[in-house]
Amino acid sequence: MPTTSTTLAADTPPHALVHGDRVHKRVYTDPAIFELEMDRVFGRAWLYVGHESQVPKTGDYFTTRLGREPVIMLRHSDGEVHVLYNRCPHKGAKIVPDGSGSAGKFLRCLYHGWTFKCDGSLLSVPLRSGYEDTSLDLKDPQNGVRKLARVATYRGFVFASMVAEGPSLPDFLGGVATSLDNFCDRAPEGEVEVAGGVQRVIQRNNWKIFFENLHDTVHAVATHESSWRAAKEEFESMPEGTPKPFEIVIVDGNGEPLEFWEKLELKGYDGGHGYMEGIFTPPQDPISLAYVAALEASQGAARTDEILRVNRHNTIVYPSCSPHTSFQQIRVIRPLAVDRTLVEIFTFRLKGAPDSTFQRALKYTNVVNSPSSNVMPDDLEAYNRVQEGLGSDGGDWVSLQRAAGRDQPLPGGCSSNGNSEMPMRNMFRAWAGYMAAPKGQE
Amino acid sequence: MSFNDWHEQQRVTEFLYHEARLLDAHRWAEWLDLFTPDGLYWMPLVHGQTDYLNHASLFLEDTLLRSMRVRRLEQARAYSQQPMTRTAHVTGNVSIASREPDGITVASTLQVLEWRKGDPRSFGGSVQHTLKTHGDGWRIQMKRVELINCEAPHEALQVFL
Repeated sequence: MPTTSTTLAADTPPHALVHGDRVHKRVYTDPAIFELEMDRVFGRAWLYVGHESQVPKTGDYFTTRLGREPVIMLRHSDGEVHVLYNRCPHKGAKIVPDGSGSAGKFLRCLYHGWTFKCDGSLLSVPLRSGYEDTSLDLKDPQNGVRKLARVATYRGFVFASMVAEGPSLPDFLGGVATSLDNFCDRAPEGEVEVAGGVQRVIQRNNWKIFFENLHDTVHAVATHESSWRAAKEEFESMPEGTPKPFEIVIVDGNGEPLEFWEKLELKGYDGGHGYMEGIFTPPQDPISLAYVAALEASQGAARTDEILRVNRHNTIVYPSCSPHTSFQQIRVIRPLAVDRTLVEIFTFRLKGAPDSTFQRALKYTNVVNSPSSNVMPDDLEAYNRVQEGLGSDGGDWVSLQRAAGRDQPLPGGCSSNGNSEMPMRNMFRAWAGYMAAPKGQE
Repeated sequence: MSFNDWHEQQRVTEFLYHEARLLDAHRWAEWLDLFTPDGLYWMPLVHGQTDYLNHASLFLEDTLLRSMRVRRLEQARAYSQQPMTRTAHVTGNVSIASREPDGITVASTLQVLEWRKGDPRSFGGSVQHTLKTHGDGWRIQMKRVELINCEAPHEALQVFL
């Protein structure tokens, strides 16, 4: 085991930068490592693309970015959702503009008018006779818009992988498939849909710093002191006996002492995934009661109780998204550069639930996750100071050592108390696994 | 809709300039007092947004949330306010959008230069102030700020624009 003063050779293989309970700073700061991640992690894992409800009708499309690839999710005439590289096979132009909309019955490239079916297959080209007796065979399916190697849907959530070989989507999700199940089961009709727009936040930090923070309970009381104190002061200024408003509950909770967080069990699963257990407290406000009544009317009291007992804070679906089941949102993480990350926040409507349930989910999104959040700026400041500090020669290693060696084994993973750095070690275990094998050696 | 006279134009524009000066000077308490008790500060997420209940926003702040934001900005350990955000507002193209029995709605164009650390950011957009008559002046029932790039990804927006 190297000591903390060990300096690694520049040609150290990337997976050797992870030493179980500590990692070398280069994993966050080295642009060459970032490019390798695009090939070996994002070029291989199942990545969250979007939700089927974003493309309800034939020709509807939604664009996003998987690793460094611009992609289109779109609905074909047979009802299937396809995920294609947003690149015309002719000259390489992005076929649809970034965003969402309808392509109509087929895709048509803006540059020379090549057209494609909504599964990417080539439909027509101008001057077809010009290609006779040339090396371009227009009947070859390879000459359509290239599809992602694998596309699969789990209860309406669409994932894609850039390699043909690897675990199936359910096997990949492993222990966090239950979070996606619970996300949908919480809807009286058992289905959810994206609604209410998408908020986008730019972070000036490596993408892994954000993922680690999702299960970092120990930062809350320190980093968020400005917002939890502001929330507590606001509540104290209200007349005696005022019920604590939702806007305050979701902000002042970060002021809970470390003993509170310790009791929240953390689960880590193979592949870097995991979730944080919450403590079940039956909600008693009118909005919650109306929602529970709607769920009971559809599912019965026993099943409703079973569904709502699955009470989780952030789930991590490594390396692309973080669902929050009880506030009906998914944060999608898109690395832009070694020190720049885009986070997109999608809010979901629970089909069959009262409008007030969705409106409260939007309130959570607006107050906690929007660019104007009172909570997030201190996170972003911390991430950025980490990113800038890691550029220093003041040290080479980053500690993941809290409660190391005390994890409890679980089928397909492990669990720990809420203050352990187990989730970070678990994510780096997966990261090192991806990074050890060159692309093409799946 | 045109102003009734030069005097009305001067009163309205001076109200908007005063509000902008309070923000640039971090005179938060006086700024909060400009709103009616049911007043709303709203920054839509999409161009032309009309619904803030069933659609997310960039800002949607009632009296409680505006007050909580100001309290946070003034905390000693607001790490993301080291240094504090500074702004320079320029308000122009002021006109009357509509007249109501108890007030007026004012349209204007806004440019703000903002700096905290690194490079300055610039914001621009259209603003609508729904003003209710209050004594010999007004109170703000709604300030709606629609940025020209409202749909774009943003870094943290910590202060009111």
